[in-house]
Amino acid sequence: MLDARTAYSIQYWLESCPQGYLLHTEFGHERGAREPGFVLENPVVREEAIGTTVQLVVGERAALAASSGLINAAPDAASKAFLATQTLDEARHVEIFTQRLFDLGVKRDELESTIAHHANPHLVRFAEILLEKVDKKDFVAGVVGQNIVLEGLAFSTFEMMQAANRDTNPKFARTLSGTIADERRHVGFGENRIGSLLREQPGKKPEIERMQKDMAYHMLATLADRFRGQSAAMQEARRAIEEQASHGGPTPRSHVWHGTDLSKAEPREMEAVLAETVLKEFKTRLARIGLDYQSPERP
Amino acid sequence: MTLEAGELHERDHEGFLSEVHSFEFWFQSVEGYLHGHPHGVSPSTPFPELAPDRRAALVATLSTYCVGELTALEGASGMIGFAPNRATKIFLATQVADEARHLEVLLHRLAELGVEDAEAGFEARANRHLMAFRERLLAYVVEKDWLAALFAQNVILEAMEFAAFQTHLRTADARTAELLGGVLKDERRHIGFGENALGRHLASHPDDRRRLREVRQSLEPLVFATFEDAALQVGLPAAERPEIARLYLDSVARLGLGT
Amino acid sequence: MREPLLASADFDPAEDAGARDGAARSERRRFVLLDDTGFDEVPAKYRRFYRRWRGPGDVLAENEVLCPVCRVVIRSARELRPGDRVYCMPCMSRLEVVRGEAGRLEAIVRY
Ligand SMILES: [Fe+2]
Ligand SMILES: [Fe+2]
Ligand SMILES: [Fe+2]
Ligand SMILES: [Fe+2]
Ligand SMILES: [Zn+2]
Repeated sequence: MLDARTAYSIQYWLESCPQGYLLHTEFGHERGAREPGFVLENPVVREEAIGTTVQLVVGERAALAASSGLINAAPDAASKAFLATQTLDEARHVEIFTQRLFDLGVKRDELESTIAHHANPHLVRFAEILLEKVDKKDFVAGVVGQNIVLEGLAFSTFEMMQAANRDTNPKFARTLSGTIADERRHVGFGENRIGSLLREQPGKKPEIERMQKDMAYHMLATLADRFRGQSAAMQEARRAIEEQASHGGPTPRSHVWHGTDLSKAEPREMEAVLAETVLKEFKTRLARIGLDYQSPERP
Repeated sequence: MTLEAGELHERDHEGFLSEVHSFEFWFQSVEGYLHGHPHGVSPSTPFPELAPDRRAALVATLSTYCVGELTALEGASGMIGFAPNRATKIFLATQVADEARHLEVLLHRLAELGVEDAEAGFEARANRHLMAFRERLLAYVVEKDWLAALFAQNVILEAMEFAAFQTHLRTADARTAELLGGVLKDERRHIGFGENALGRHLASHPDDRRRLREVRQSLEPLVFATFEDAALQVGLPAAERPEIARLYLDSVARLGLGT
Repeated sequence: MREPLLASADFDPAEDAGARDGAARSERRRFVLLDDTGFDEVPAKYRRFYRRWRGPGDVLAENEVLCPVCRVVIRSARELRPGDRVYCMPCMSRLEVVRGEAGRLEAIVRY
């Protein structure tokens, strides 16, 4: 068994991440891999890919700000070391998703305006709620907000996107699988470290539960905006994939994720399965650390 | 973003900076010297026998280094929040991981030297001038004062560590020397980043030199007092002591912050 | 540890942005950079552009210059002359080659 000092160490991180699953990758994917033709050449699909990737950049920027900001608030050296590795993981995520925007044809001097244009306002608010806690150096609330709520959302979203892209966009799928591997460590830290701290400070629970409720609301609103707005683009992407398959490109097999076939589902079904999965995860994780999950209003 | 190696010196400055401030660059750089070196030391390096007084001096010195590294870890992480752009944030994130590694390998070495619960005690054993410096630096971070924090952390503190490690390396036992050698390789990036980022800023905001001179004057007594103590501790001959501060003084002069 | 010299017939210094008046008149020597100098602080593909400074007794070749910021030796595939620009990757500096007071080539930082 790994003890906390080993598991949260830089040494452990070096061996598992840069010297492990990231070895021989470039921006998180195989060297030289490219976005597939149906994404780059079809303007509707490309625009949709840019819109989605922008949300990932926004989420990762929030995680970078939060994990670095929490280092000074952390009560012990092992937590500081872990958050240092997480800071670097999150910086890498910002970098690889930003690089994907460039790969999708966003010009360097248009990066910030593209992000501002596509960033979902609910996702921005979601991040602000978290960063308010970080700014106050509230370690327990900050870690719950970041490593359980934000990471929980990221983790399931990445998993779903990874499944949906596995056959048709191996470059993006590979990028995602590396981030999933990172996020696994982050959610694990959140649960294990905070579980014990919360037991020492039970008085903090109501405030943290309120934060979780607010964040969950904005998360659901983000998912609703994203999925409901992209129905046409999704149909177009499927058509483009089929067309490419008929010219010898990769054929998408059905990918069932939590009971839903991602290659055929309607946007509403996808929204529902993702939202349900994330909320179910929240509930079990929060319960394990002794917090009561608060249902947000449905946007 | 990736440069072709064949034309390295012919690249434009912006392309060069965007490459060296990336995770990719950091990752491939540290891979070269950290692979196969758990806790910064090759497993085959022997454990030296140290005389009691030498061991005690080494424990005190390494404890001071721990405070320096803890300060750098807290400083660099705090600065990400108000760093001016993405490349800078990503660079600082790599520095955060480097500093955390430094703290970790030093604590590990202290444990090898038989210090029980090295983590709990290092602040008490550390140099008091450095503790005072730490407080000042972290105050700049809390105030989100980018220029002062960058100068204090990546120019002053880094130069101080660089010089101290480089000097110590010459007289250290094999395991300590190897560990410090790896740390120095990381510090080279930090020190270069600090000087260059400040230099670029000062080129377009020459008036900010006045403020940085004030920062320099207020921190310098602490820096020199720390240098002085460190030189005594590692047993550096008096004639070589001015050398130890030279790296820092050169850097300050290049930035136009000399007196 | 001087690299074997290779005079290159097809190298035109006039095409070189870093060259300045007088310096451009004569042909420059080309150098073959061996892949491994034992310098392990930059990504593998760039290692041949750097080597460690071995202290006061060390001698710089005509294609080498010392980084004043981090004291690593920077190497180029051609002979260096005043006005040339080189990059120090280990400390991330842009440098310009100048003739120092002692007549030796030195590098200064161009932030
Ligand atoms: Fe992330
Ligand atoms: Fe994360
Ligand atoms: Fe350090
Ligand atoms: Fe450093
Ligand atoms: Zn240098």
